[in-house]
Amino acid sequence: MSYPKVDYQDSTIQVSQKNRNEIMNEIEIVKLAVQGDRAAFAEIVKKYQGRIYNLGLRMTGNEQDAEDILQETFLSALQNIANFAMKSAIYTWLYRIAVNFGLKKLQHRKKQYGHIDIDDPDTDKLSHEALHDWPDFNERKVNDKHFQEKLNEAMMELPEKYRTVFILRDLHEVSTVDTAKILNITESNTKVRLMRARNFLKDKLEDMLSHEEL
Amino acid sequence: MKKERNIMFDQVCLYLGQDLDSEPCKIIQEHLQVCDNCEIFVDKIKKTVKLYKTTNDCEQIPTQVTKKLFSVLNLDDLCPEGEDCDQKKHQH
Repeated sequence: MSYPKVDYQDSTIQVSQKNRNEIMNEIEIVKLAVQGDRAAFAEIVKKYQGRIYNLGLRMTGNEQDAEDILQETFLSALQNIANFAMKSAIYTWLYRIAVNFGLKKLQHRKKQYGHIDIDDPDTDKLSHEALHDWPDFNERKVNDKHFQEKLNEAMMELPEKYRTVFILRDLHEVSTVDTAKILNITESNTKVRLMRARNFLKDKLEDMLSHEEL
Repeated sequence: MKKERNIMFDQVCLYLGQDLDSEPCKIIQEHLQVCDNCEIFVDKIKKTVKLYKTTNDCEQIPTQVTKKLFSVLNLDDLCPEGEDCDQKKHQH
């Protein structure tokens, strides 16, 4: 599912009728939840629990932490929903809460992951790109548990500030505008971080593939 | 020549921080068609993103995790259909 890339207060952005209906329906549900309707709040939980859990899992790489982040996020949302001003989409608000809890978790575990600096792609290295292209990954490869673990390990090697942008933009398909709002950074910073994250993971994948058969 | 390549590469990198399927800059597209290095570079980035997307299900959540969440929120009675979250009710 991808979210309609629309600001609730920006009527100039064109969205399809289906997306518009979805948005209107969600606005009604959120209004009810803000007024204290339990069933409406439960609807919001049902809709976004998977995404918040996945965000926590990808941020921390740990199922227990992901569950903690999920519970803390919705408990905080429940306690503060009456103050939600509806100036942004509900998922932007939920993601912001979840990211903050995720960052707290990571701060506690900083020693485990350490820190590495990643830079812009090396232009001299680019001249070697043509030496070997990649074939499309076959289904067997994609479903290989060991390969998936390696992919997750590579993602966990990304410094948190790049990883979070990659998770939001590429895995959860959140727009650049909303990602910037959630992380409280500029849009251009979001793009730079995303580019670096993508390039880092490409290099990691390159290393992985050089050691095994496709 | 190297300077030109670096300028173009910077533009390719900016392109790579955008939506990969967004309306790309014409100059970059034209360049990618004639520059094998950049074309392969961009293709690898796209395949990397696609691979991560394919192996990540954003909506997946263990049933037990949902049960606990609805219980913690005191929403047991509103747990999704089939999740049988109303543990407290069953216990009594």
